[in-house]
Amino acid sequence: MKIAGNDILIQSLINEGVEYIFGYPGGAALHIYDSIFNQKEMQHILVRHEQGATHAADGYARATGKPGVVLVTSGPGATNAITGIATAFMDSIPMVVISGQVQSHLIGTDAFQETDMIGVSRPIVKHSFTVDKQENIAQIVKEAFHIATSGRQGPVVIDVPKDITNPDELFDFNYPEKANIRSYNPPIKPENHQVSRAVDAILTAERPVIYAGGGTISSNASNELRELNELIDFPVTNTLMGLGVYPGTGKRFLGMLGMHGTYQANMAMHNADLIIAVGARFDDRITNTPEKFAPKAKVIHFDVDHSSVSKIIEADIAVFGQVKDSLQAINNHLRSRKDEINKEKLSPWHQQISEWREKHGLDHQLYKNNSDEHPILPQAAVQHIYQESEGKAFVTSDVGQHQMFAAQYYHFDEPRKWINSGGLGTMGFGLPSAMGVKLAYPEEEVICITGEGSIQMCIQELSTCSQYKLPIKIFSINNLALGMVKQWQDMNYEGRHSSISYEDSLPDFVGLAESYGHVGIKITKNSELREGIAKALAIKDKLVFVDIYVDPNEHVYPMLVAPNGSLKDMWLGKGEKT
Amino acid sequence: MIQRKLTLVMENKPGALARVVGLFHQRGYNIDSLHVDPIEDFEPFRFIEDELGIKFQVGEVSRLTIQTTVGDKLMRQILRQINKLIEVIAVSDDENTYLKGILRNENLL
Repeated sequence: MKIAGNDILIQSLINEGVEYIFGYPGGAALHIYDSIFNQKEMQHILVRHEQGATHAADGYARATGKPGVVLVTSGPGATNAITGIATAFMDSIPMVVISGQVQSHLIGTDAFQETDMIGVSRPIVKHSFTVDKQENIAQIVKEAFHIATSGRQGPVVIDVPKDITNPDELFDFNYPEKANIRSYNPPIKPENHQVSRAVDAILTAERPVIYAGGGTISSNASNELRELNELIDFPVTNTLMGLGVYPGTGKRFLGMLGMHGTYQANMAMHNADLIIAVGARFDDRITNTPEKFAPKAKVIHFDVDHSSVSKIIEADIAVFGQVKDSLQAINNHLRSRKDEINKEKLSPWHQQISEWREKHGLDHQLYKNNSDEHPILPQAAVQHIYQESEGKAFVTSDVGQHQMFAAQYYHFDEPRKWINSGGLGTMGFGLPSAMGVKLAYPEEEVICITGEGSIQMCIQELSTCSQYKLPIKIFSINNLALGMVKQWQDMNYEGRHSSISYEDSLPDFVGLAESYGHVGIKITKNSELREGIAKALAIKDKLVFVDIYVDPNEHVYPMLVAPNGSLKDMWLGKGEKT
Repeated sequence: MIQRKLTLVMENKPGALARVVGLFHQRGYNIDSLHVDPIEDFEPFRFIEDELGIKFQVGEVSRLTIQTTVGDKLMRQILRQINKLIEVIAVSDDENTYLKGILRNENLL
């Protein structure tokens, strides 16, 4: 059967099993939208801004592990998608973004809504394609999905000139079964001698730490990580991107490490004799000053990406390959040497960690104090959300203090439940990503913990939530300022609060939510906090926007001392340093 | 810091060169000199064909040589970053070669 280019494109997506495509139509994409109209297998979600489309697809991808798919038009449609593509790129999230382009013969003429999308997106994609002729559409889509979802995952852009999707020219359509890219071969199986060296190091360690990041989640290696830890009983810390890969309530869990990591996690890393990095990349929010990072530690690094290993911190043992395969290999090897495993040897180390936890660990009981003598603590708000949702919700967040409080005080026991922009730090991510999660898991509780600053960066998507009836629960931790910026100004600029306040211009969020057909709840007092959160979560069929007024002067602690600090140098409170 | 030479074999596709050049700028590396031409004599590259079980056709692949002045550690990082570009088939510095993503501890190009 012969079909037109626009139908080939859409049929190819259907063949890839795409359920949802997030997008916004426009001139160069009109033929494609006509094909979408004529099919029923895939649902198009009309967002209100292309940034929302990319974040929604990203949230869908993070929650499901399947690639998110986006469709935008040329020019401003394409450039509006850039922030979302960069967000996915930094966190290695699989995504396929299809951008319309002006007709082939107009390319390079500064035509209406023409942008060199391939050029603009080049530094923030894993790969990109321009479709040159209709006969290549199917092959390119196949390759794009293969590249996006294999190796170290990432976003792929397909730029499609309008004439390529002309409905009047018909072509044969056969969707290829495999993508054969002769120049692309991501490593799959780890090498035996590296596995055996890693096991030797594991068996002799006395002060070990497992440091697991987002790559462990991408690789679906949570079970393998937990099996490893049953075998060897090491303390485990997670990066911001790795939360949930090891149970947040697990006995050996140290909490998050790094810039706003727990005291015990950062101290354990600093004093370790062995660090096992699993799908993590030693970024600057983790290492503090690299020269001062974990001075006594040997490093084993598991990663699928050669270029991540020894980029910042030199690895003593590198195990390349999908983290899942590498951990399986390690576990099998360890089982064969079971009599050499000595968990007893670790007790002084576990004892030391308990002492650190006792001394300066986070207080997880703040929510029990509901006195109205002091303002609501943002930490307590997150703790209440955790309690009332029984720790089972998907939680998306934006960027800033609320994000760090959510990461510190909401304990994730499962991977893919904590959805946030770790690498790029994109404000505006929380609400649209929650839409993607809710579409993927309509029966699950989906919470967006945000701030009154971040939420306004993609607040237009409240309208999308109304159209598709997405009963997300939004908890806005409202401190009447750009809190994290304010914290830095307090700590590093002698309290000169430059451009962090909106004065009296904040909208009435309750009224705003209601104007979209949602429910709004405002909470200003401690004594109303638990009840207000519970009430919001009890409303199952509507989006609820909960505007929580918190203490505007709270800071996030611990916080690493920078510049020139190590992981043991932390601010523990206002004016209180290690 | 010494001047070193990188040799790449890559698919001769539109935009491929821009990815290599863009990567140098994006990652803060410097290019001292750059030379690129389509490969016409395949004899020195037969091992790639054998390894991948393919046959190069005239005009399909290009050779790039790039000179850059960097230390050892950064050189390794540059090599690995270039190796990640989807259209790069092989890349060598003085000591190592990545061939379709697989590391060989010798200069094959």
